Amino acid sequence: MLRFALTLLLFTLAFGVLSSSPVFSDLILAKVDRRIDLTSQIVRITTSLKVENAGSNPISEILLSFPENQAKHLAYLTATLNEGKGKGKASSGAGLPTEVVIPKDVPDSLTFYSVSLHKGLGKGESLLLDVLAVFTHALEPFPEKISQADIQLLLFQDTAHFLSPYKVMVQSVAVKLPEARVESYTKLEGTKLSGSELKYSPFHNIPPFSYLPIIIHFENNQPFAVAEELVREIEISHWGNVQVTEHYNLFHGGAKNKGEFSRLDYQARPYVRGASAFRRLVARLPPRAHSVYYRDEIGNISTSSLWGDSKKVDVLQLSYFCSTELEIEPRYPLFGGWRTAFTIGYGLPLRDFLFESDGKRFLNFSFGSPINELVIDTLIVKVVLPEGSKDISASVPFPVKQWQETKFSHLDLVGRPVVVLEKNNVVPEHNEHFQVYYKFNSLSMLREPLMLIFGFFFLFVACIVYMHADLSISKSSASYLAKVQWEEVQATVQQIHNIISHCLTAHDKLEASLRDLSRTGDVQACKATRKSVDSLLKGVSKDLKPLVTFLQSSPQAAHILPKVEELIAKERDLQERLMAKHTTVVDCYEKKLGGREIENRIASNQQKITSLRQEVDDLMEFIDEI
Amino acid sequence: MAPKAITSPVPDSLYPTLSVLTLAIGLVLTASFFIYEATTSRKTRSLAQELTTGAVASVFLGFGSLFLLIACGVYV
Repeated sequence: MLRFALTLLLFTLAFGVLSSSPVFSDLILAKVDRRIDLTSQIVRITTSLKVENAGSNPISEILLSFPENQAKHLAYLTATLNEGKGKGKASSGAGLPTEVVIPKDVPDSLTFYSVSLHKGLGKGESLLLDVLAVFTHALEPFPEKISQADIQLLLFQDTAHFLSPYKVMVQSVAVKLPEARVESYTKLEGTKLSGSELKYSPFHNIPPFSYLPIIIHFENNQPFAVAEELVREIEISHWGNVQVTEHYNLFHGGAKNKGEFSRLDYQARPYVRGASAFRRLVARLPPRAHSVYYRDEIGNISTSSLWGDSKKVDVLQLSYFCSTELEIEPRYPLFGGWRTAFTIGYGLPLRDFLFESDGKRFLNFSFGSPINELVIDTLIVKVVLPEGSKDISASVPFPVKQWQETKFSHLDLVGRPVVVLEKNNVVPEHNEHFQVYYKFNSLSMLREPLMLIFGFFFLFVACIVYMHADLSISKSSASYLAKVQWEEVQATVQQIHNIISHCLTAHDKLEASLRDLSRTGDVQACKATRKSVDSLLKGVSKDLKPLVTFLQSSPQAAHILPKVEELIAKERDLQERLMAKHTTVVDCYEKKLGGREIENRIASNQQKITSLRQEVDDLMEFIDEI
Repeated sequence: MAPKAITSPVPDSLYPTLSVLTLAIGLVLTASFFIYEATTSRKTRSLAQELTTGAVASVFLGFGSLFLLIACGVYV
C-alpha cells in the first residue's frame, strides 16, 4: 500500500514537470478546504473549492480526479454551487451533473469525474463549488484480526495535497476522528491534533497532480454494519396500502473476531470486552407506518421497539420531519466477521406515495435502506405494480441497472409486473426519492371482486344443477314412481296452503277494517273493504276445487286428505261467520247503536270465530310440516 | 400541474364495517336461497328466481369477502 503510494507520487511529480496540457491549466483553484469525516464506517470527504478562470475561454466543466484505489470505493459523488460568501453556510442548490470522463494525456491510475456547470465560467470569474465524496470500505482494519478484549484500530490513507488536474494556491485539510484516541498519524510540518480533530497546516502553491500520502491509524467503535445483500420489495395495492418487505443479510465489516467469545465477559463489561461489537440498529421508517414486523428464518424476533410518529429536528437544514423509529436488536451482538439475516416489513398508507399527473400514475418512494449508517454492497429494489399496469418506466436520480419481472400474488390471473432496480455500493446518501411511472385503468380494480363473485356464483349454479338433476337410473321402478307422486302431492298441498294463507290475510283485513270503523266511523270504506274481500274469497273457492280433486284421486295423499278437507271446511265456516259479524257491526253503526249493544249481538259469533281461527291455524301448521 | 394523491375508492376505516354488512346481507340471501331449494318441490320451482337469488347473493358475498380480506391486512 505504502509502496504503491510512493510510486504514484514519483510518477505524478515527474508527469507534472514534463508536460502541461493547455486544457487543464486554464483553471486555478484559489482556495481548497478539505474536511475528512472519519466518525463512522463511511468516509465522507467534503471539499470546498474556489475555482478561478485564469484563461481566456469560458469554461463549462470542472474535472475532479481520484486515485484508482480510492475511486473503486467511491459510492456517492455530488457537487453543488455554494451561493453564499460566508464559510460554513450550507449550499442550497441542487447537485450539478457529474459523470465519469476519460480525458486525453492523463496518468492511467486516476479516475476523472466531470462536473458540468449550468452557465459557463467566464474569463477572470470565480465560483465556489462544494464537493461531497462518500467512500465505503475505505477504512482498513489494522490489525485485521482482534480478540474480544482488543480495541478496533483502523487505517485510513489519503493525500494531504488535493489531487487535481489544476494548480492549487492554498489548501487546508482537517480530519475529524470519532474518538480522541489516535494510534499514529503522519506528521508533516504544522500538523496539530486537538481533541478528536487533526489539522494539517495550509499548503501553498501546489502543482497539478501532486499527491502527498498521509496515513492515520485510529480507533473507531462505531457500528460497522454492512449489508452484503438487501432486497427491498415494495408492493402497491390500489385498495389503500403500500407494503414494504426488506430482506437483510448483514455482517460486521470491521476487524474480524478471533479467539473465543465469552458471553460472561461481554455482559459484565460490554464496553471493555467487545467495544467494537454492535448490538442494535436504528431504522427510520416513513411516518404512519403500520403492521411493522421483524422476523427471521426461526420466527419472530421480539427484541425490538417502535416509536410512532416521532418528530425530529434535522440540524443541518433546521427543519422538522416526522418518522416512525424502529430499533431492532438481532439475536446476538455482532462482532467482526459475524453475520446475521433477518426480514423487516411494514405497511404504509397509499396516499403518501402514489400520485397522479398527466394521466399517468407514479410512485414516489425512497431508494435506500431506512437503517442509519448502513453500507449496502448490493441493493435490489423491486417495485410490484398491480395487475393491469401498462407503460411502466422508472426514473432514478443515479445510475442503476433495471429490468422487469413478473410476480404471482393474491387473486392474480397473469401476474403482476415488477420493476427491478439494482445498484452496488449504496450509502445513506442514496436515500433519495425515485419515481416509477405507469398507466392504470381504474376499472381494472374491479377484476378482483369480479373473480370472487364468479367463484361464489359458480357454487350457487352447482347447487341449482344438483337440485334439478334427475339422477335416478330406472324411471319405471316402483320407488321412483312413488317418489314422483309424493312430490306432486306435496306441491298440491303447498298450493292449498298458500291459498288458505291468502284467505286468512283477507280475514285479517276484515278485522282491521272493523277496528278502523270503531276508530274513525267511516262506514263507506268498511263496506268497500267487505266487497273486495268478498270477491277475493269467491275466486279462492274456485281455485281450490281442482286441487282437491287431484288429492282425492292420488293414492299417496290418503293420510292427508281428511285433514285438508277439514281445513277447507273450517275455513269456509270461519269465512261465513266473519262476514255475518261484519254485516252486523256495519248495520249497528248505521243505526247508530251503542258499543254495548254491538257486543251483545256479536258475542256468540265472536267466540266461535276465535276458536275456529285457532283450529285453522293448527291445521295449517300441521300441513306445513309434512 | 401539481400531482394529486391517489387514495383507495373506499376510505380505509370503513373496510371492516362494510365487510360485516355485505357479508351479513350475502349470508341472509344465501340462507333464503337454500330455504327455497329445500321447501319447494320439483314442479313449483322457478329457475329464474333461483338464479336471481344466487346472483345477488354471490355479488354481496364476493364484495364482502374482498373487504374482509382487505380489513385483515391481505391487500389483494
